[in-house]
Amino acid sequence: MAVAVFFVAALMAVAGAIGVISFREPIRSVLSLVVVMIALGILFLLLSAQFVFVAQIIVYAGAVMVLFLFVIALFGPAREFARANLRFQSWLSAVFALGLLILIWVMLSGVQYRQPEKTDLTLFGTVQSIALGLFTTYLYPFELTSLLLLVAAIGAIYLSRKKVDDR
Amino acid sequence: MSDMTLGGSHLDASWFLILSAILFTLGAVGVLVRRNPLVILICIELMLNAVNLTLVTFSRQLGNLEGQLFTLMSITVAAAEAVVGLAILVDIFHTRDVEDIDELSEMKG
Repeated sequence: MAVAVFFVAALMAVAGAIGVISFREPIRSVLSLVVVMIALGILFLLLSAQFVFVAQIIVYAGAVMVLFLFVIALFGPAREFARANLRFQSWLSAVFALGLLILIWVMLSGVQYRQPEKTDLTLFGTVQSIALGLFTTYLYPFELTSLLLLVAAIGAIYLSRKKVDDR
Repeated sequence: MSDMTLGGSHLDASWFLILSAILFTLGAVGVLVRRNPLVILICIELMLNAVNLTLVTFSRQLGNLEGQLFTLMSITVAAAEAVVGLAILVDIFHTRDVEDIDELSEMKG
């Protein structure tokens, strides 16, 4: 059962990723990315990461993708035309992609898996256990994250403000 | 070698890692071949997602929760990155209509 779920989700993810890079209209790329994120959310559930699944759906497939859709809606559906300044660009990138895939493959096949300690799956990845890690051992990085979000928000406001004075 | 029994059935961690590698490569290809700056940002999000899958897989494989905590941090950083990147794009789109990333080769304001 879990194997079937994995392969359906993996197929969804790969199809969505191909859609992201092959659709000409940006809005279709964004919607394909939503498909990829939902598929990855299913895989997170398979890996018993419930809280990460919820965060993935709410933050990624919800908030971030809506942000992209807003920007596209704001500036109209710009189509991308098939003209390249750099000749052989697609060939070069195909060679590069093949090299990257082979590199990752070699790295992955060299991984020595450690036999895991017996984990209690009734607690693993739940909100309780995540919160326990986040508010005890990793409290400092967690607080720094809020600072990062604040800086990003201020930066976004600064960048998108109306420039009346200097123009 | 890397079994995870899950609900009676049997999953291999390397399947997840290979899927993650494929998604990462597809994202990299997107960054290379697409010319719309917005689509390039979308492809970067795709690559970040692929790495998140790797982190969660190793977290489950090693029975260690730190991978999932790191994934949460990574989601936050990706959200911040998307916000700032889109703000820069909006700022650029206000002044001119950019359909090709090559038109933005200079960094003058």
